[in-house]
Amino acid sequence: MAPSGEWADVTRAVHFSAGHRLSSPHLSEAENQRIYGQCYRWHGHNYLVEVTVSGLIDPETGMATDLEALGETLQAGLLDLVDHQDLDEVLPKTTTTGEGLALVFWRLLSTRLPPGSLRRVAVEETPKNRFEYAGEMAP
Amino acid sequence: MAELVYVTKRFTFSAAHRYWRRAWGVEENRRRFGPLAEVHGHTYALEVTVRGPVDEATGMVIDLVEMKTLVETEVLARLDHRYLNEDPAFSTELPTTENVARLIWRLLSPKLGEDRLWRVRLAEEPTFWVDYHGPIR
Repeated sequence: MAPSGEWADVTRAVHFSAGHRLSSPHLSEAENQRIYGQCYRWHGHNYLVEVTVSGLIDPETGMATDLEALGETLQAGLLDLVDHQDLDEVLPKTTTTGEGLALVFWRLLSTRLPPGSLRRVAVEETPKNRFEYAGEMAP
Repeated sequence: MAELVYVTKRFTFSAAHRYWRRAWGVEENRRRFGPLAEVHGHTYALEVTVRGPVDEATGMVIDLVEMKTLVETEVLARLDHRYLNEDPAFSTELPTTENVARLIWRLLSPKLGEDRLWRVRLAEEPTFWVDYHGPIR
């Protein structure tokens, strides 16, 4: 029952600032220090998150998604949880690497968005590093 | 089954080049390539993307320090502040953005692995870039 019409991907970007450190419960103190280096110390970032959702372009409104609703979802589902927080405290059991954050943000948002609409979550810790998850699984 | 995550690291390097085929004369080169036939340069923006499952112990697809060191030693040491036409890779091929992206792929893929290296994106300037996914995709 796929509706006919044209689909579009819509991306909304948000920023938040948070503290974290990289440390894994699977690793010893020495291993944590060796593998994560300076990231093992407490520090923080101005994070950029891009969330892409896909939707059918409504012929009446010309919109593929309700941007206001998406903004509210990002606020309640993500920013209220992480902005100006310690990520390791608010996201327990997550190693807060860029990879780990992309995956956990995907899980947090996909349950609040229309089923199947979430296409991609991108996380930038700094303009030099980007981490993306698009729902793909390794074969 | 593990989730596949894409990790991208950005770099810049500065290099000079010209579009000039030795086999062609001055007239032909100028006619075909216009201002690109003169020696000029760019601050290139390079994005290297690797794709893979997230390691359970470290939470990482790849160690970013390892990735940085690799790109610095394999790519930047060779191309940064160089005249690309003098690079052995461009003795016959022109150092176009496409061909520089292909060279960067060839330099990185043996080290990162064909299965991990996903994309080389090379921008000559902010309004123009080339994506290369390797010879097999």
